Amino acid sequence: MPPAARSWLDGIALADKVLALAAFSGAARAVGKAPIAVPERGAWGTDEVVRAALLVRAYPRITPAELWAHGDNRERQAVLKALPLLPEPAAFVELAIEACRTNVLTVFEAIACENPYPAAHFPELHFNQLALKAAFNGIVLARIVGLAARRNTELARMAADYAAERRAAGRPVPDDLGLLMQGQP
Amino acid sequence: MKLFDPHIHMTSRTTDDYEAMAKAGIRAIIEPAFWLGQPRTHVGTFDDYFQSLVGWERFRASQFGITHYCTIGLNPKEANNPAVADGVIELMAHYLGKDGVVGVGEIGFDDQTAAEEKYFAAQLELARKLDLPVLVHTPHRDKKRGTERSLALVKEQRFPEERVLIDHNNEETLPLVLATGCWAGHSIYPNTKMDEPRMAALVKQYGAARIIVNSAADWGVSDPLKVPKVAAAMRDAGISESDVETIVWQNPIAFFGQTGRIDARELGDPASFDQGELFEGNSVLRGQAPRRA
Repeated sequence: MPPAARSWLDGIALADKVLALAAFSGAARAVGKAPIAVPERGAWGTDEVVRAALLVRAYPRITPAELWAHGDNRERQAVLKALPLLPEPAAFVELAIEACRTNVLTVFEAIACENPYPAAHFPELHFNQLALKAAFNGIVLARIVGLAARRNTELARMAADYAAERRAAGRPVPDDLGLLMQGQP
Repeated sequence: MKLFDPHIHMTSRTTDDYEAMAKAGIRAIIEPAFWLGQPRTHVGTFDDYFQSLVGWERFRASQFGITHYCTIGLNPKEANNPAVADGVIELMAHYLGKDGVVGVGEIGFDDQTAAEEKYFAAQLELARKLDLPVLVHTPHRDKKRGTERSLALVKEQRFPEERVLIDHNNEETLPLVLATGCWAGHSIYPNTKMDEPRMAALVKQYGAARIIVNSAADWGVSDPLKVPKVAAAMRDAGISESDVETIVWQNPIAFFGQTGRIDARELGDPASFDQGELFEGNSVLRGQAPRRA
């Protein structure tokens, strides 16, 4: 975290819920959105880094569920990116599955890409839906963390059906669709 | 001249209104959270309303080259509804920090009940904690007493008067407000509240300092072009161009800019917009060719 962003966050009285919530919402105005490379987690906006850190520090007085419910897209992205950093992360699996139903690509990417949460916690059905939705949206499938270990015969069938549907329609099949099929590198 | 309408309920208005407002020179607006014309029976309805004020409505305005801000609050009328009041106050903390939120409001008195006073005071405390200005509605009935009580409560709570905008003033209430450090808003309405010639006369008498005008247009018979109309009426009455500009542009920016959330320089530029953009997958167009500027 850049020193200026850290000192801004350090200055927030997180014990006061009103101040903590307002700081969470207002973080982008205070610290900006410049990208920061987060090791093994891709590039986050400075606002996302600060919001995720704020949630980790203020949890459980502030919960991912309430921040998600009242958040704008950018705030929601930060919540999803923070999920694996919270204690007992399995408790948020319903929220993470619901997040995958978004129409907003950047919100979907926040849970689906460079995020170890789905591979660690999603039931097979929902992991498969996430992987197929990523393919549908043209997302580079290598961005799904832990994909190789979660491949399964049902996902391979879904991917094969998707490829067949694309070919039947005379449309190109994503080059990396094989990543969803078992036994493929 | 660019115009700012600092009180208009666009959720109840059409895209035709947005087009006409942009054409008439309205560059920025503030939509205060208020009563929607029928009672709300769940806190969740307010939640969706607040989401819309910071999200979808802001997007709709942007599609016509208008910058949309809002204030978030529990309005005085619904402060009397115990089924929602406390829940809404709790909810507000989630919204008051968001981009585009430039104050707490509308708060104040309607029937002048004890419940209204309790939530008026509670919201002054929220505003103080977050360094936000407040927009205070004054009642239609027993207005002068309601205004006096509002000013007295602000003083009692030692809330900084320069961060208080008392709205819907008339000939009787304006001098009371100007005698304090509070700002004075005027809603120019087709029949009730205030009209253009009366407003021009008030400005001639009291000057332009701390004076704000708005349309307060909503779901009832009202006119979203009242700010350009009152600007024209003030010019016709011989009020100087610089005073007119102070009232319809600089004052709302000075007052709500106390949040640090209004970029006056950005508003100074002509609006750019792109109707090809979507908000969470949704467009304001119905098959029209997107316009851009």
